[in-house]
Amino acid sequence: MNELLEAFRLVLAPDVLIAILLSSIYGLVIGSLPGLSATMATALLVPVTFYLSPIAAVASIIAASAMAIFSGDIPGCLLRIPGTPASAAYTDEAYAMTRNGQAEVALGAGLWFSALGGIAGTISLVVMAPVLAELALNFSTYEYFWLAFLGLMCATLVARSSPVKAIASMLIGLLVACIGMENPGGVPRFTFGITELLGGIEPIPALVGVFAVSEVIRAIVSPEPPPLPSRKFGSILAGQLALTIKYWRQMTRGNIVGIIIGVLPGAGADMAAWVSYAMSKRFSKERKKFGTGHPEGLVEAGASNNASLASGWVPALLFGIPGDTITAIAIGVLYMKGLNPGPTLFTERASSMYALYIIFILANIIMIPLGIMMIRAASYILRAPRATIMPVILVCCAVGAFATGNNLFAVILVAAFGVIGYAMENNGFPVAAMVLGIVMGTMVEQSFVTSLIKSDGSLLPFFERPVSAVLATMTISALLWPAFIWLWRRFRPGQQEQMS
Amino acid sequence: MRLSDRVTGSFVATLGVLAAYGGSQFPPVPGQDVGPSVFPMVIGAGLILCGLMIALGVGHSFEDEAEAEADLAEIQGLSQQAMPVNPLRHRLRALLPPGLLLFYVYAADRIGFVPTAAIMIFASALAFGAKIRVALPLAALAPIAIHLIFYKLLRVPLPPGLLPMPW
Repeated sequence: MNELLEAFRLVLAPDVLIAILLSSIYGLVIGSLPGLSATMATALLVPVTFYLSPIAAVASIIAASAMAIFSGDIPGCLLRIPGTPASAAYTDEAYAMTRNGQAEVALGAGLWFSALGGIAGTISLVVMAPVLAELALNFSTYEYFWLAFLGLMCATLVARSSPVKAIASMLIGLLVACIGMENPGGVPRFTFGITELLGGIEPIPALVGVFAVSEVIRAIVSPEPPPLPSRKFGSILAGQLALTIKYWRQMTRGNIVGIIIGVLPGAGADMAAWVSYAMSKRFSKERKKFGTGHPEGLVEAGASNNASLASGWVPALLFGIPGDTITAIAIGVLYMKGLNPGPTLFTERASSMYALYIIFILANIIMIPLGIMMIRAASYILRAPRATIMPVILVCCAVGAFATGNNLFAVILVAAFGVIGYAMENNGFPVAAMVLGIVMGTMVEQSFVTSLIKSDGSLLPFFERPVSAVLATMTISALLWPAFIWLWRRFRPGQQEQMS
Repeated sequence: MRLSDRVTGSFVATLGVLAAYGGSQFPPVPGQDVGPSVFPMVIGAGLILCGLMIALGVGHSFEDEAEAEADLAEIQGLSQQAMPVNPLRHRLRALLPPGLLLFYVYAADRIGFVPTAAIMIFASALAFGAKIRVALPLAALAPIAIHLIFYKLLRVPLPPGLLPMPW
């Protein structure tokens, strides 16, 4: 109880509240601009978090990412261009509703079910985290190895491209993580005599490059999106209660699917939205209406992507394994702020954990009024020409990377990873898998090598302990899953048509 | 800049060969079988395997790649279809953002943050098709605002250079 009170005291501090408010507005604006994703909003926020207190730093990331995932719906609905990849699954549906004159209902559903989904995800975090923490206390390097490996496999499994290319990008990420001296032998690896590389490649400049600079490059070679016609909106929330009652089943299913996908290490909000939208269509009684402006899929997918956002913090907080690309960034911030992820976070820093829960709830509550304001202001914000936003973002990338270590080498890394990210994405290599490889590489290697040393080079102990055996089975089935699907389709052609 | 799978696959495999070879050269830890060379070699082997699979098209039909691509094309908008017909100029424009970042690295310590950022913003705004009467005020004002936020509020030591700010 004392800890709960302490948590409230931590959250209600003026600097935390201001951080939540400002980063919410920031997240809403960035998320609503096409091409600027929630991950990019988070990555550009990191240099700012250096100068905040630990709780304020984490609060700003939570608030900005939640708002950005919601406000990605706005341009999707009004312009048929999703603001963030997480909104892409139902952009056509939302745009069809706008064309039917139901823009308010579509935007309201996005807002309302995002907020409810976020709260459902938070509840899952509150319930799951302590149980898993108890389990995690018994983990040894074998379990951590499998868990990290499972996270990497999930990241490749859910990528919406060829799984072989996804695995290749993950391995490239792991290779990048090898650079530097931080390895079992303390030997400089792949540094090519460059002193700056001895310390390894920091994840933040790599993330800024891959997610922000590559977007700037993509924008510069593609034409400007059409301007938004100015319009007046009616009541945003009217009718949402009726939708909630009518589609509560779909909403709950969306929440649950979102939570599960979020907890899986490596799979995030965009995947949750795709899976939930497809699921909603599959189980709907009115399947024919999908795509013509039917709110059902919108409800389910909107509930799902925000739920996954909160539950993505479960593996991040407990094991230091990111649930998605946003928590991959957040883990770095947690370490920097002395809130080292791990089961002991619950015993030693319980008040901080409660504070995180409160921030999640708070962010999802203020999302509703701020979201309504954002929807009303969208006509003005979306009219800001790209030619003024992108140059400023480019400078912010440079300054932000520089700020991570007051080191100009980071800016070179940002430029390099911008080009790498752009080239990879253009050729069907998912960059998210590479980023997770970079973030988790050191951990995978450490747990792998330590385990091998403990077992005297034998692979048997990797499968002997009960929990590690379960995790190993899951990982290996994730690895073999694409091959299984391929065989299945090959030998049952009738099934294939049914599935598609 | 879409290359064929054969090209990207071979590139990945070559990277794998280099990683495995580089990994095998690292000195072992005395008295240990497992040292710093194991992990790069495992990754290298994986990359070689993946690269060959991509290059030879094995597993190309593993999953709904075509579907994903169709989705992607749809997401990235109808706008992509209206791409200008000058591919070379296009490719060159893609080099501008990383080029400007390298310019920042070169120039920031020499002429200071504000002039460097102003040049970056001016050049990229023009490349995005802004008119001069938009690009000029933006290049004049935005660096000062960014400097205020990062230098004054966040205490990032941005180099003053030729144009030190009064704060």
